[in-house]
Amino acid sequence: MVSTTLLDIQNSLRENGLLISFSGRFSQTIIEELGEAVRKYLEMEQSPMNEIHHIFSIFIEQTQNIKNYCESKENTEGYRKVSNSCIVTIGKLEDGNYICSGNLIATEDATDLIKKLETVSSLDKTELKKLYKERLRAETPPGSKGAGLGLIEMARKASRPLEYFITEIDQDYSFLTIKAVV
Amino acid sequence: MMEILKVDATRSTPEIFFDSGNNTLSIKGQSYPEDAFGFYEPIFKWIDLYLEQLNEEATVLIDFTLPYINTSSSKCIMMLLEKLEEAYISGKKVALNWYYTVDNDSELECAEEFQEDLSLPFHILPREE
Repeated sequence: MVSTTLLDIQNSLRENGLLISFSGRFSQTIIEELGEAVRKYLEMEQSPMNEIHHIFSIFIEQTQNIKNYCESKENTEGYRKVSNSCIVTIGKLEDGNYICSGNLIATEDATDLIKKLETVSSLDKTELKKLYKERLRAETPPGSKGAGLGLIEMARKASRPLEYFITEIDQDYSFLTIKAVV
Repeated sequence: MMEILKVDATRSTPEIFFDSGNNTLSIKGQSYPEDAFGFYEPIFKWIDLYLEQLNEEATVLIDFTLPYINTSSSKCIMMLLEKLEEAYISGKKVALNWYYTVDNDSELECAEEFQEDLSLPFHILPREE
């Protein structure tokens, strides 16, 4: 029955401390709407300004990263599949908040992404700042949508190293989950 | 011909108000557009032309109020600051005021990181509101 299904979903969200969840294709409008909603909610909860800023910042970097990744698959066979696979959640932990997001990635992109994630999660705050500054001044690689700074920024704003998981779906795709705690 | 560059703010783009008549440049608002390079491109073009014709007597006053900027916008702001830095090094008078929200260390830190690598007069000031 529809009513029990919804209740199950709500219970499951509650168990995970979830405040906001969006699953589907990311557009700039959706990113803005959700981002502002998160900010309003945290302001209402009277979270410290710094913390709101960090959560908002990680949320924007993460969702724009995913959106750019999906767009890089435009005009390929897997475009629809990848761009409809996106999910972002924001939730509460005992000692903070988390932003957790996921999306399908093509198997051929996995190695490169894991390498980037390993790098940023192995660096301390001083090393991250140094890397950030180097990248900020470097030329942007041709064809790149963003500045290639998103993951570094997320790691800088998070209070613990980023966590990530890769789940193999089939030989062509894996599901990448990234979690940042503030 | 290129007197004023005015762009209204949206939720994800700042208000731009550049006036070559009285040499004031202002950027105000948060910046996290879908395509930061696309948004800042006309601003770079305007600035290039403006700085080129600027004489050494004039003083340019720049006001930045950027409560939140995503990384691709930061990259664009850095490019903009590098243009101003270059003008300053070549003998032109430019001075920047960067306004931040009191109680928001992240905003202050962001301003300080830009300031660290530049030699042009760069003042970080609390925003009065």
